[in-house]
Amino acid sequence: MALAEASMAAGAARRHVRFTGPEKDYWRIVVRGAVLLMVTLGLYRFWLATDIRRFLWANTELDGESFEYSGTALELLQGFLFAIALVLPIYTVFTITVLDLGVFGNVLSVSAVLLLAFLSQYGIYLARRYRLTRTIFRGLRFHQTGSAIRYAICAVWWWGWTLLTLGFAYPFTRAALERFKLGNTWYGDLQGRFVGSGWHLFLRGFLMWLAVLIPLLTTAVSLLAIRWPAVLTALRGSGDIIGRLEKASPGFVGQLGLGLTAFAVTLALVALLLPAFHAMVMRWWINGIRFGEIVAKSHLRTRDVYFAYFRFILYLIGFLIVLSVGIFFGLIFLGAFAQDGTPLQEFLTVAMMVGTYVVFMLGLITLFNATVTLSVWRLTASSIELSDTAPIERVKAAGDASSPLGEGIADVLNLGGI
Amino acid sequence: MPELTSPAVYFDGMTAARHDVTVELNDYAVVIFDRAGELIDQWPYPRLKHLSAPAHIFRIGLRKSPTLARLEIADQDMAHAIDLACPDIDRTGVSARKARRKAIALSFMAAVSLLAVAVYGVPAIADRLAPAIPQGVERRLGNAADTQVRAMLNKGPGNRPFECGGAAVEQAGYAAFNKLMSRLQDAAELRLPLRAAVIRREEANAIALPGGHVYVFKGLIDQAENVDEVAGVIAHELGHVANRDGARAVLQGAGLSLIFGMFLGDFVGGGAVVLAGKTLLKSAYSRHAESRADAFAVRTMDTAGGDARALGRFLARIAGKTRSGSIFLDHPATPERVTQIDAMAPPQSRGATLLDAAEWRALKRICAGYV
Repeated sequence: MALAEASMAAGAARRHVRFTGPEKDYWRIVVRGAVLLMVTLGLYRFWLATDIRRFLWANTELDGESFEYSGTALELLQGFLFAIALVLPIYTVFTITVLDLGVFGNVLSVSAVLLLAFLSQYGIYLARRYRLTRTIFRGLRFHQTGSAIRYAICAVWWWGWTLLTLGFAYPFTRAALERFKLGNTWYGDLQGRFVGSGWHLFLRGFLMWLAVLIPLLTTAVSLLAIRWPAVLTALRGSGDIIGRLEKASPGFVGQLGLGLTAFAVTLALVALLLPAFHAMVMRWWINGIRFGEIVAKSHLRTRDVYFAYFRFILYLIGFLIVLSVGIFFGLIFLGAFAQDGTPLQEFLTVAMMVGTYVVFMLGLITLFNATVTLSVWRLTASSIELSDTAPIERVKAAGDASSPLGEGIADVLNLGGI
Repeated sequence: MPELTSPAVYFDGMTAARHDVTVELNDYAVVIFDRAGELIDQWPYPRLKHLSAPAHIFRIGLRKSPTLARLEIADQDMAHAIDLACPDIDRTGVSARKARRKAIALSFMAAVSLLAVAVYGVPAIADRLAPAIPQGVERRLGNAADTQVRAMLNKGPGNRPFECGGAAVEQAGYAAFNKLMSRLQDAAELRLPLRAAVIRREEANAIALPGGHVYVFKGLIDQAENVDEVAGVIAHELGHVANRDGARAVLQGAGLSLIFGMFLGDFVGGGAVVLAGKTLLKSAYSRHAESRADAFAVRTMDTAGGDARALGRFLARIAGKTRSGSIFLDHPATPERVTQIDAMAPPQSRGATLLDAAEWRALKRICAGYV
């Protein structure tokens, strides 16, 4: 292993992984998918997810051999229906118990949140198993061992700490969970593992974390210093409003100003640092992956990721212009078509508002998907360098296809992803 | 079948080793030879399946095979020949597109039929199920709602009882209220125990919760000009109790949440669709329940010997200016309700016999103990 790493450090850049998917084809998949999602009120999602995965897998090559995604939309639909059958009784029992038990019911509803968190992580692990066993490379499938229940307990524990420490524990959470996931990932009989260290990620990301946390804490402290109940009462009077508010909560204007400024700074920093963070975590993750003796190294460049985000923003601006023109004509149509105060006009107004919101949100996520997601996938894939890949030739088949139930659970709990 | 051979890449599904092979087509199968000319395998045409691959590669596998053996052909003529020989394979994607269009049509129809279930099915199912919910469950449901409603409505000072009728000056009014309630309950033929009270709120309103809780607001009694107007509103609320509208609303809400949220609207931005759909349908269900409660009130008032049209007059007065209906209102428009009530009520009204004049004056002062 040390030898392999040394040879990599010394050797010429050997790029084994390539992404060959034409961007145009991907745009067609996601844009058509977005339209059909709207028309079918979301039922098209199983076909869209399958299309996207097929495209990404088939166009990713390792040593000239492309991956194959063998899952189908019908399997996802089936998994979704299974999951409904599983989750619905739990929902029902909880709703009834909470109603029945009064105070004890409140304790139960806290545990319901925990149960839901647990169930989500359980679903995420099973969904990963489904995706891996539908990933075929050189006539062999990947598979995943390990107990989904153990993973879910670990994940709830670690993410709980991440939340409680405002992200301080994030690197260690990622490291622990990646160790669990990759240690249970197999390509045939070749076992994966993850060697990335939480401290490594922590040291690299610490300044970024601090840069976002300080203005965020400033926001919280200055907004909490305001005596809100008094301020709300003072709002109802008349006359000199600033004076009244200052009287109700001394230093109100200063605190509110500081809080809002700090919050704006937080948002700006998040937007500015997000691509760097994305690239950093990606590099750390790839560098930690091992399959048998095969060592991975990422040469992903931060500026390329920035460029991907920049392109997203340009597309977004174009989209917003088109959308505004659309709204303009929609309003003209509405004014001409329906009289004021009729139920028809009211219905059309609501439909237009809802429609605009849906088009905006779907457009936003579709553009992100078509620019950032695809670019980062391509950049990450083509920047991977592997040590000697000869051991792949000797891998033997192992593992079976798993059920799509986990995908269903993740979908029911709104956690679907690619 | 022309004699056609071409190089290909073969994976046997047992190991990841890559085999450079030659494939040849005969009448029944794709025959795979290694480079030395030794036969490796024969894949009959009917069992071939076309697999996802990048555009320049034709990748096939074998149906019902225990392994994931794969054959990858870059030669376009060979790919075309296999495509022709094998009816199930469509390299051009014609039948895949057809299947996809079918899937789109089916999921669109599924969305439409789920919407139809939400509009017609959910209220129908709730109508059938609501009477089947045991009284005990509905009472517990009501108690939970009661706690919330009291916390929300009771904004008075802590030492002032929320319910009217406890103070000495309120005793006579309390007796009158109970007499009125029991006359209405008899007329309505309600068997379940009611928990009715007048509460200290200034709005002209009354509410019914699941499990027989009925709250009449002080403001309603203040603004009423005679006992029939108060009685009409109470009879309307008894209609909600008798129709079990509380339990029905819970069932309808659960049904809508299942359809909007679990099945539909599960996409980015779908939250707005879910919210709008649920609000519109809930309002529609509620308008229906209000009309039925009005009809119940008319029948009850008629049986009890009161003036059934008083409810309509009172509604028109407290609603103030005429408002047109809206698809978001949970009550039908007031003029519409008044017309309906008048159409249902018998023309002759027998006047105020529910309470005598002294009792009516006492009822007016049921909340007089605290200001």
